[in-house]
Amino acid sequence: MTVQTVRDVEFGEDLPVFDPDTTLDNVIRFTEAAGWRGPRFTDHEAARKEGLPGALVPGIMSQGFLCAMIHRWAPPARIVEVDTIFRAPVIVDQAYHINGVVTDIDEDAGRVEVDLTVTNDKGETRVFGTAKVDLPTAGT
Amino acid sequence: MSALDIEALRDQWIGVQFEERAFELDAAAMAEYAKACGEVAGLYTDPEDPDFQAPPTFASSLQRGRGLPENFPQMPGLGMDAGKAVEAFAPIRPGPKTSRTHMHDIYTKTGRSGRMIFLVVRMALYDDAGTHLANADTRVVIREKPTGEEA
Repeated sequence: MTVQTVRDVEFGEDLPVFDPDTTLDNVIRFTEAAGWRGPRFTDHEAARKEGLPGALVPGIMSQGFLCAMIHRWAPPARIVEVDTIFRAPVIVDQAYHINGVVTDIDEDAGRVEVDLTVTNDKGETRVFGTAKVDLPTAGT
Repeated sequence: MSALDIEALRDQWIGVQFEERAFELDAAAMAEYAKACGEVAGLYTDPEDPDFQAPPTFASSLQRGRGLPENFPQMPGLGMDAGKAVEAFAPIRPGPKTSRTHMHDIYTKTGRSGRMIFLVVRMALYDDAGTHLANADTRVVIREKPTGEEA
């Protein structure tokens, strides 16, 4: 069930897990759209020559994944702040999972705070994020 | 080499604007950005949607050009992108925009491996009516080399 108003949200609630598309084709699509072209994002061999483990998912793309996850969970959400900390590289063509949990609710203001983590298949956190989200205070 | 004087850096550089850009946001590129991130709602993916807008983190992709002010002191270590933050005030829609970038904060944290210097650069995004749409921050972290360590 998607969230429509702040009253649909429970403190401590887990958001549905979101598995972002980190395939090379999708990362190339992103870099073209965002104007962040560069071989370290779009070419595994070129990235390895720079000493990286493989092509990198741009940090701004990981940030975009976090927003998409929130919008899928709560379509009327208006994200007012999102902060991301890059702890380790997110590598193209590897599997990642984004988890989120509600850490604060102000029902009167319609504001919810969410902690978000991007982890790999080993359970290692690569990106940590927090977001403040405004939701309608009552159904329309 | 002696450690950088952070208070002097703060006094000299915080608030200094070092870049201003005018550019046009293209609806098709905004929609592609949204789809690649996994957005599914029409207001982010369909330029024909009456409320079409970019996801707020699109502002981070607009931080281009010079990363630090001209003549900013050479940092004593390798800089890494430590994180990004966005504050969204109003929808980002296609059309002409202006960005202004300034040095927003300089601070340190000290851990077992020594002192880390954080530089926060903020880009403020405006539409052609002057409405402040968003702030996009980039945090760069530099691990300061201990005195005497070779570069």
